[in-house]
Amino acid sequence: MIARCLAGVLLGFPLSAALIALLYALPGGQSALIALLLLFFPLWIACMTAAYFFRSGTRAWLSFGTANLAAFAALWLTRHLGGA
Amino acid sequence: MKASTLRTFQIVHTWTGLMAGFALFIAFYAGALTVFHDDIAAWQTPPWRSTPDAAVPVGGLIDKLVTQHPEARADFGIVLPPTQGQAPYAFWVSDGQSRFATAGELAQPRLEGNPNDLADFVYALHDSLGFPVVGLYFMGIVSVLYGLALVSGVILHLPQLVKDLFALRVGKNIKRLWQDAHNAIGVLSLPFHIIFAITGAVFCLFTVTMLALNVTAFNGKLFDAFAEATRTEPVVQASGVAATMLSYDELVAHARAVAKTRGAANFEPDYVHFTHYGDRNAVAMVRGLSERALDTYGYIALNAGTGEPLMASVGGNRDGNSIVYSAMYTLHFGNFGGRPVQWLYFLLGLAGAFLFYSGNLLWIESRRKRRHRDQPFKTRVMARATVGVCIGSCLAISGTFAATMIASSLDIEAQWPQRAACYGLFLAACAYACVRPVARATVELLIATGMLTLAVSLADLLRNAGAWMQPWTPQTVAVLGVDLVGIVLAIAFFAFARASSRRAREGDTHSVWTSQARTGLP
Repeated sequence: MIARCLAGVLLGFPLSAALIALLYALPGGQSALIALLLLFFPLWIACMTAAYFFRSGTRAWLSFGTANLAAFAALWLTRHLGGA
Repeated sequence: MKASTLRTFQIVHTWTGLMAGFALFIAFYAGALTVFHDDIAAWQTPPWRSTPDAAVPVGGLIDKLVTQHPEARADFGIVLPPTQGQAPYAFWVSDGQSRFATAGELAQPRLEGNPNDLADFVYALHDSLGFPVVGLYFMGIVSVLYGLALVSGVILHLPQLVKDLFALRVGKNIKRLWQDAHNAIGVLSLPFHIIFAITGAVFCLFTVTMLALNVTAFNGKLFDAFAEATRTEPVVQASGVAATMLSYDELVAHARAVAKTRGAANFEPDYVHFTHYGDRNAVAMVRGLSERALDTYGYIALNAGTGEPLMASVGGNRDGNSIVYSAMYTLHFGNFGGRPVQWLYFLLGLAGAFLFYSGNLLWIESRRKRRHRDQPFKTRVMARATVGVCIGSCLAISGTFAATMIASSLDIEAQWPQRAACYGLFLAACAYACVRPVARATVELLIATGMLTLAVSLADLLRNAGAWMQPWTPQTVAVLGVDLVGIVLAIAFFAFARASSRRAREGDTHSVWTSQARTGLP
């Protein structure tokens, strides 16, 4: 239970941050910055909740870890291929 | 959903609820009162007891400020009072420190806003339990836990949601009734609670979250982007050429004209910000409230010398950021629809406080030993803590009103009497709930809170007797309204005391809430 809780809190934070940064990079993202910042906390809380649906702490950490890698890789790609 | 997952969420709901519940009770009770912030300000300083500087017009304050503190010309703000009886005050930075002063205080500016303001202190209790910075971060964490408690509560309740939503089973099973009430309030006011969990977390954890997001995902560009998204006035350089400034009243008239052409129903300024005052490029940004709009706060930037509009976020054609930013405050404060919405927020706020109180009672009840007079230690501790903190905070807030009234009659600064009464009564109530048999402590603390609240309201009605005879103004109604709400709350406290007393005397004796003496064997 504690392992899943920590996975949601600790890995959910950067994941939510990367997700709103990805949305911000979409066309028109600039005019939705405040809405995206508001979205951060619901996303983080959704991660904390989602973590409890995993069968074990290990699975939660692995899944959230992979999701983080994917999200930050995508963010890196938008920055370096997007020409920005 | 699997039974084990549901059990996990039961644990999450219980623990987040217990950890956040006490602080949330205070936040919601003080928050419900804060809905009427301006009325409480009028209650403290009605026009017939106005502060000396209230007679100084805003223009006079500006003239004195720029003469006595020329360094403030570059950048200063004027905070307009929410009620006629209070004085406008100036805000500027000098030697790296914030300064605040009404016209009479300019020679010796204060280091904080209006420390004697009762409405602002109740607001501080609401957003940070009255402790700057540390309290604010604490309440931010509480908001996140609150969000988690809401989600887990909904997941738990979801299976029976539709079936049980309107069920309020009044009968022999008291726990069933409390559980029904807890669920009904939790689900029916869920949209309201979601708003508070999100905006509460954003307001309290704003700085740390921005820092973290900036580093982790925004490549160090977040602060500039945020400043750009929330900009309400153009950035200008001083020209070095002096110019005559418009008077304050002329500026407001110009701002109102702009608001009107943009379709705002009205525009009531509450803050004005000046840059490069006295220069040809001086900017005045007027912030104002428009009724009947979700984006209540409007911002109009003008050239302070000519009145030419430079930037306007008000009424129609605002961009997405400006609307969301304004709506985020408006939805939290409930100031978008006049009195009806204020009353709705007040009632929902009190209902929210009930939600957290009933959550604690349910926790105690589900751990009750049905065949023992002696209840488990943890439920006894929880009962004492719930009574001490929850009723104690109501008592403390009534005490803060009393201290403000006494300080005003003695003509002394209200700041320290308010804090002494608030924290003193709170700690005393907690101590009392620890040593007294808890069933008796509940009844006695409720009676004390009711008496104090009633005494403050009646004393205030009497001391303002003269004003009731004069022609009535909206301010008179505000003061009377605060007193009448006080009387209604006092009656509610007495009713709760009566119910708790009956429970203690006649209810099930196998509980922490009984006060019946042991007679014979169970």
